[in-house]
Amino acid sequence: MWLPVLGLLLGLLLGFMSDIRVPPEYANYLSIAVLAALDTLFGGIRASLQGSFEDKVFITGFFFNILLAAGLAYLGVHLGIDLYLAAIFAFGVRLFNNIAVIRRLLISKWTDSRKKA
Amino acid sequence: MKERQWMFATIALILGGMLAIQFETTNNPIVRDTRDLYELRADLEKEKQRQQELNEELERYNALLDNYKGNGKEEKIVAMEEALADLKKQAGLTTVSGQGIVITIEPFNDELIGVDRPKPKIEPDMLRRLVNELNRYDAKEISIGDQRIISKTPVREVNGVIYINNEPISSFPIEIKVLAKNNEKLQQKIIASPAVEEFVRENFNVESTPKSKVILPAYEKPVRVKFMKPVKEGT
Repeated sequence: MWLPVLGLLLGLLLGFMSDIRVPPEYANYLSIAVLAALDTLFGGIRASLQGSFEDKVFITGFFFNILLAAGLAYLGVHLGIDLYLAAIFAFGVRLFNNIAVIRRLLISKWTDSRKKA
Repeated sequence: MKERQWMFATIALILGGMLAIQFETTNNPIVRDTRDLYELRADLEKEKQRQQELNEELERYNALLDNYKGNGKEEKIVAMEEALADLKKQAGLTTVSGQGIVITIEPFNDELIGVDRPKPKIEPDMLRRLVNELNRYDAKEISIGDQRIISKTPVREVNGVIYINNEPISSFPIEIKVLAKNNEKLQQKIIASPAVEEFVRENFNVESTPKSKVILPAYEKPVRVKFMKPVKEGT
């Protein structure tokens, strides 16, 4: 349970310590990639709570979603269509859905455990 | 199960890194240095000058400190009095004299050209601009109509009357006295300055004459310091 949180904190620390900054032209891509990564992470948590977790799906989903989102944004820039909005919309909606499902699962788990006790 | 934990941890690590980088990028983005060789040289020159000025200042303060530390109570008191007098002079609390220019501003005499126009009016903005420009042209001290301009001097208009240092400036001609090291040069610059052109556009007659001795009155009111605080020692 604590390992992923530790990983997140370590990642944040590393990111802040390394002082890497992305050129402003590419900041958009990174923001979309962050969104995709967040979505995948919450999707993974949901799947593991529901017992339908598959590691291959999780890992490939993570990288594929990031690349797809960034690629979509890139295509959008070159076509003159704000395609990154599609990625933001899709990931945003999925993020909310996933978090809602996680919340419900946790609540039902909690009430079950209280009933048993 | 353990494996899954590690997997989550790795992904969370990557996500954390991305978040941190994104955060850094949006909060302090990379600013590219686009100065060319000449601009760099000019900037270098400016910094050198600044360094020299700072060094001089440091030297002066060190000398002052030595004076303070010097033996004998008398010497210390003399040094402090000197420093106080110097600060008072800098703040504009003493009468100063020296070479400079005198600028007189008065309404253009309409009777000469035989037209009937309303009397021109001075806006405080025009005076402020003139003061700013004089300062830019290396003026040392300025007074307008016997009111010394210090760093806190307000220039306002109340009911059509110009107030400087909260004192109404009496009628025309308005006399502006300026101290300057090179008064001829200052006069040349003032003749061609946009602030003076503004006065001319508003039908004022502006005349400036260099003088070898100009006497500027002292600022007489108490200087109230509202927002400044002494720097704590060691910071």
